[in-house]
This record gives sequence, structure tokens and C-alpha cells, in this order.
Amino acid sequence: MAVSAPATEVLLPASREEAIEAFGDGAGVTVLAGGTILMPEIAEGRLRPGRTLLLVRAGLGGVHSGSSTIRIGATTTVAELAELGLEPLASAAANVADLEVRSQGTVGGNLCAPPGREFPRGDLQAPLLALAARVRSAGPGGERVDEVDSFLAGEGTGRLVLELELDGPPDAAAHAVLDRPHAHSYTPLAVAAAERDGVLRIAATGAAPRAVRLHAVESSRDASDALADADPQDDALASAWYRRKMLPVLVARVLADLKEAR
Amino acid sequence: MKLSVNGVERQLASSPLRPLLHVLRDELGITSPKAGCQQGGCGACTVLVEGEPRRSCLIPLAAVDGAEITTVEGLGAPESLSQVQAAFAAHYAAQCGFCTSGFLVAAHALVEREPEVTREGVLEALGGHVCRCTGYVKIVDAVLAAARGEVDVAAVEPDVEARPDQPEILVPGSPA
Amino acid sequence: MKAVGARLPRYDGVAHVTGRTTYVDDVRVSNPLWVKALRSPHHYAEIVRLDTSKAERHPGVRAVVTHADVPSNVYGHLEALGVPADEPLLADGEVRYLGQPIAAVAAEDEATALEALDLIEVEYEEREPIFDMRKAFDAGAPRIHPWGPVFPHFGPHPQRRIRKGDVEAAFDQADTIVEGVYRPQAIEHVPLEPQVALVVPEANGRLTIYSCTQAMYFSMGVVAAHLQWPLNKLKFVGGTVGGGFGGKVDTASETVCALLALKAQRPVKWRWTRREEFLASSTRAPWHVELADAVTSDGWILGRRTLTLHDAGAYTRFSSYGLTKHAFHHTGAYTIPNVHFDGYVVFTNRVPTTAMRGFGVTSVSFAVELHLNRIADVLGIDPFELRLKNANRIGDTTANRVPLKDPSTIQVMHAAADRIGLELRPEYRSMTNEPRTGALLPEHLVAQQSLDGEE
Repeated sequence: MAVSAPATEVLLPASREEAIEAFGDGAGVTVLAGGTILMPEIAEGRLRPGRTLLLVRAGLGGVHSGSSTIRIGATTTVAELAELGLEPLASAAANVADLEVRSQGTVGGNLCAPPGREFPRGDLQAPLLALAARVRSAGPGGERVDEVDSFLAGEGTGRLVLELELDGPPDAAAHAVLDRPHAHSYTPLAVAAAERDGVLRIAATGAAPRAVRLHAVESSRDASDALADADPQDDALASAWYRRKMLPVLVARVLADLKEAR
Repeated sequence: MKLSVNGVERQLASSPLRPLLHVLRDELGITSPKAGCQQGGCGACTVLVEGEPRRSCLIPLAAVDGAEITTVEGLGAPESLSQVQAAFAAHYAAQCGFCTSGFLVAAHALVEREPEVTREGVLEALGGHVCRCTGYVKIVDAVLAAARGEVDVAAVEPDVEARPDQPEILVPGSPA
Repeated sequence: MKAVGARLPRYDGVAHVTGRTTYVDDVRVSNPLWVKALRSPHHYAEIVRLDTSKAERHPGVRAVVTHADVPSNVYGHLEALGVPADEPLLADGEVRYLGQPIAAVAAEDEATALEALDLIEVEYEEREPIFDMRKAFDAGAPRIHPWGPVFPHFGPHPQRRIRKGDVEAAFDQADTIVEGVYRPQAIEHVPLEPQVALVVPEANGRLTIYSCTQAMYFSMGVVAAHLQWPLNKLKFVGGTVGGGFGGKVDTASETVCALLALKAQRPVKWRWTRREEFLASSTRAPWHVELADAVTSDGWILGRRTLTLHDAGAYTRFSSYGLTKHAFHHTGAYTIPNVHFDGYVVFTNRVPTTAMRGFGVTSVSFAVELHLNRIADVLGIDPFELRLKNANRIGDTTANRVPLKDPSTIQVMHAAADRIGLELRPEYRSMTNEPRTGALLPEHLVAQQSLDGEE
């Protein structure tokens, strides 16, 4: 045997209910959806899961557009989101890695991606913040719905994501990416914004260990306030210095695009 | 667990979390998909799952239990090459060949689903595959030729040594 | 000749496109053991204590090796060229680069081997590393190599020297001095096939070594030297290398596998991860090239002073050879009669550097060509004309006094001009590589000519 998977109990629920039950209170459970984040960790021995919950058959995929709400199942692939036409989520999804990885990675996995040591993870967190998504999850205390902000801030720890709820397309949306050739599959820096009823929500990927809302820019609509809520890091893709230089540029671009769209 | 690989059903003893890449290479002896990075970043492990290109290094076996897997071995043999295989051979799209298997299955799926694909479309669809040898130009040329049906498969000799007008070589049996 | 100019199929083309080409990782033997290496987490440190006993006892582990298991641990890649040995196969008492291998484990599978690494006990005392080769000559700079800050074995000199003509006079006579500093940085080879070796102990006591090396006989010599074995006890099996580009001459995995295979009496395979490739495999070296050219206002280059620093990383490997090639090419495709070249191989706490496509020459070509453009800019002369004027011609001699018999600078420049649709002035379009005469043979170029081919 070459890279043997360490001794682990594999749970393969065949429905949403089975998945919730198998997850239980989440203690000692590693959730694996597309595998794009976890499989490399396992391969290099950085993660040795005890009980692994595979969501591939749990029926948690699919996008349902209701009259006012869009429901996106946790195992909906990044590729499907790129086709959805819902901005700024679609642009962010289309920018993730490449065709094969987009077809395997899921929105749930992306939402729950821990901060990367060497590159930003969770490219979809910023557009979901911009769209004021809500996260339905299972875990201790049963099912509940959290605002994506609080989910990302810590309320999501130890929860099994079931689906996302969004309030339909915003009035205007914009997305700007710093794409560098050496970054290959990863995004050094990106900004996503959405406007609904005159209220602006704008968030950044790669400007902090996790995606952040740029509250100062939301109030002032001035790109020079971009750094107020940012905490840029050095990593394998870019220095904190470079990110500090580029974040206001991306924010300015997004603000300009929003103005055009109105 | 089981897989149907290149049309043949195989029963498997591998553990459920074992990456499909290693199931294919080490349990089934199908070595065309390569371990280039084991992070899903290079494309050399790409196989077709139900006809769609996927990174086999990222897929736990349990996620594809019962699925149809196609590797390069399933695309064609020397005497009966597929369009993309013949195109790569004719266009010198492989040098060291390590990335080739991954490119071929992805290209095969691409030309099947999008025969009218443009150069930009090829770059976008195959953008996750890294090649350090060729500089990509001949790879893209080969894929476009295959998509447009411009490949003379019969002109690709399955066995180079058998060519009647073989140029004079100094050391018989030498590849020089 | 029937092959030159003919469009021939690659003899391995069909094998490549049918997945039949066999790389080392595709070779199948029964029951191989899998290798993982313990690598230094520090750039520069003393190893105070190393204890592998717990790893050795871990279930599924079949062998562990350290420096103590290597019959001849310190080897030099250029020993055959007279360069003394300086690099341990496995670290002994100190580590000089982050990622340097300290111990290796062979186990029933990779996961077990990784667990065993965690059980190896190592205590380090960190030392201050040096990364900027320009600082190596400073008084208080860390001394990381017993040979000193630089490679000292260029004959009696601590640098590769080339002296020709009278560079002082050239600088006095010049109308302008043009200076520049050029710093091409390290490059990773990133072959798609990571470093990999498979070693099989044979019943007759020999070892069969499946290797991804680019240099079979060379690697055979390295393994034989470490093991203190005669060459005929080794059988090397090479084949298709999944990309090398110069990085697979370092024989980075074969010997460790050989030692483990001998200890375990089982086949042993070591396949590096991509992370190990980026962390620990050798790179193209960073270079620092300072050029100062003495030029006339009508575009003659009278003389050149060059100072080159080549970053060898922690050990010498092939660096002195690369620097020597760099030195030979430091005037580029042009004739410069007065030169003063000093090149140093500097030790730093980086991963040891190695060959990569054009080893040594690409760095100096980069510097020279950019510098010529700078000169053209400063003088207000067309960059093509500047090159054509100073181009090598039959009978010119190089910086190291080799007479040129048929240099092609001018033909290539003309072809390049044609390619980009550039009109050259008639006097430049009519230039050939025939020996210099008339206006193309000013006083300062007379002495360097060697029309009879004598150095």
C-alpha cells in the first residue's frame, strides 16, 4: 500500500436526515465533501481523521430558486455556482482554480475552509458576505440559521452546513480580482460587493486570515478607507505590503463598477 | 467497493478514504494517472469520472464507489488511437510525457462536449494542467486539431522501429 | 544523412499518448517499503542530540538510517574534477539549510513512515543564518562553511579570475563608463515528476536502483562512493525522466534508498512530495553580476570589469563549474580586448544550488545583453548597431584567449533583424564575420587578434 488512509471510520449517509444523525454533535467528526481541501492534508499526514463523514451521497446538493429566496445546498459545486448567474458569487466561483477543481469543490467546504497557511482559502466567503447569505446548519442544539457574518466569526465552529439561503439577486454587484500568474490555482486578493436597497456590503478575500467585511468603505464609499478593516498577511503568494497597496485599487474598481451598474 | 475502469468492473480491497489515484495505480496497476503533486494543483492525476475530468488525487474511493472511470489506457491503444492521442503524437505535444495522460483525458472530454471549442476555450478548459517541457503551444494545437477532426490517425505509426524508410542509424536498436 | 532536417516521430511518442511510458514510480515490485525523510526545520543549527530508537521500534517501520549508517557520508559531486568533498548525505552534527535531510525511515506505508518521523527525537541549537551573499564578506558575517565564506579551490585563488589586456588603460581612455548591477534570482525546476527512486536488493548481494537521474553513470558513481562499493555491485536502471532541466543530476534519493534497502532487505521506494520538491530540491542559483564597461562615444567597448557573486547555498555541489562557464562567457558574443573578471562562489544557508538549463551562462547572458542595451541608451546608439560593431569575428579572441574560428554573432543579428522587419543601415547590413579590417579594426583591437589560430 502506498499512501494508506489512516485507520478511520467512514460514514456515508444516503440522505439529509442520515447525514444530520451521523454528524450528531460533531465531536470527533471530520466532514468531507469535495475533498479539495482535506485530501491533500490527509495525504501529507497533517490531518489524521478519526471518523470521516462523506457527504457525496447525502443529497445536499442542488440550487432551488423560490419566489424570494434562493437555497443553495451545501454540496453544490463551485462550478455550478459559476453557472448560476448570481453575482458577485458567480464571478468569484468562476475564478476559483480550474475546471476540474471547480467541479469537485463545494460551497459548503469553501465556506468552512480554515485560513490557509500559505495562501488564502475560501474564495466564496467574501461574495457570500456581500450577499448577506444565511447559513442553515445542524449540530448541538439542532438545526439553526446564522447570518454568514456570525457563522464565519465563530458560530460556525462544529456545525454541519446543510444549505445557504440568499435573498435573490442584488440591485447591483461587482467583483475585482488580483490575478497573478504565479498564484496558479489560488487568489492572492479579491473584493466582492453587492448593493440592495441602497445599502452597500463589500468584503475581501486575502486581506486578512479569513474573508472580511470592509465596514469603513461601506459607510464612506471611499476606497481610501479600504485598509481600515483589513489585516493583510505575508504568505506564499504575496506580501502584506503588496496587499496593502492593491486592496484600495480593487476596492476603487468595484465601487466604480457599482456606480456604472446603477 | 467496486469501480468500472475502462469498461472492466473491478472489485476493490482499498480502504474507503484511499485516494482514487492510488487505488488505480497501486491496487489496479493502472499507472497512467501520475502523482505530480497530490494536491490537485498540477492535473497529472486527472481521470474521467462518468466522462467528466476530475482530480483523482482528491477523490476518496468511497465517493466514486460503483462509478465508471476512464483513463488514457481506455481512450485507445497504439493500433487504434483516439483523435486526441493521435493529435498529440503528430503535433509533438509530449516531451517527457509525464503530464500527457492528464491532458489527454481532459482534452478528450473537452472535444467530445465542445467540438467547436476555440483556442481561448481550450486554454480555459485545460488551464489547470501544468506542463514544464513543451510551453503548451503544441498541446493547444493538438487539441484544436483533434476537435476539428484534422488528425490523420492512420499516419501515426504504432511502432516506430517498423518504418520501412527508417533513416540510417549507426547503432541498431539505439533510439538515436 | 537522412535524419537531419527530417520530420521524424518521437520514438516514445505513442508510448506517451497511450500511458505506457514507464517512469520510476510506475515500476512495480512486490511489497515495497515507503520512505519519508526527517528534514531540518531550521536554516542553520547544531544538532545537539539525535535519537531514532523510538522510530525504529514503531510498528510497521522496517529500517531507519542516519549519518552513522553511511560508510562514506561526506561526498563531493565534483570529486572527479578535483573539488574536495563537503556535503553529508545525512546531516552529522549540524544542519545548514531548511529542509536538509537528517534521517530517513522505511515503513510498510507512507502514513506509518510519517508517524515514525514524529518519533525521532532531535535537539537543535539554532545559529544565525546568512542569506544575502553580498554580506558574506562582512567582518561579523556568519561562517557556515569550514572553507570560509567562499569556495577557495579555483587553483590557488578564492575566485575565478580572468585577466586580459590592460583594463586600467581602457578605463582611462574611455569617453564614458557605463555601470550596471544584474541580479537574476533562484528558479525552481518544478519537473512534473517529483524526485523518486526505487531500490531492490538482489539475491546475489547487488542492488538494482531504478532512478530518475538525468546522469546515470554519474549517479552510479555517487552511490558507489557513499556505500564504498565497487561499481559492478550496482545495477542502475534509468529510463524516461519526467522532466529534469538540470535538477535531477544531484542524486538526491538513490543512496538513502540503497541504505534502507540494505538494512531492511526489502525493496524501498522514496517518492518526494511536491512540498519536498519546493522545499529541499536544488534550484538554479541566485546571481549578482556587476558590470562596468569602458566605452567610446562611437560605441566601441574598450574594456570590462566584472564582479560576479554566485550563491551556492549551503554546499558546493556543481557551483564552481557553473561559475567557470559563466566566466568564459562574460564578454558574450562580442569582442572586448581588456577584461578584469572576478567571480566568487558564496556559501549561504539556502538550499544548495545546481545546474539548470544553460547553467552559469544564462545569468551572464542576461547581464551582458541588458548591459549592452544600457550602453546603447547612454550613448544614443542603435542597440543592433552597437552589437554588430563589437560582434565577434574570425580571428578575434575571447576573454580567455580562445581564437574564434567561425563565430556567428553577425549572422544571427541579421537573421533577427529580418525576423522583426528591422531595416539596418547599409554599412551594418553588409557586415560579415570575416576578420576585422579597416574601420572595424581600430588600434585597440589589433593586439587581441589571432589570425593563425594560436592562443
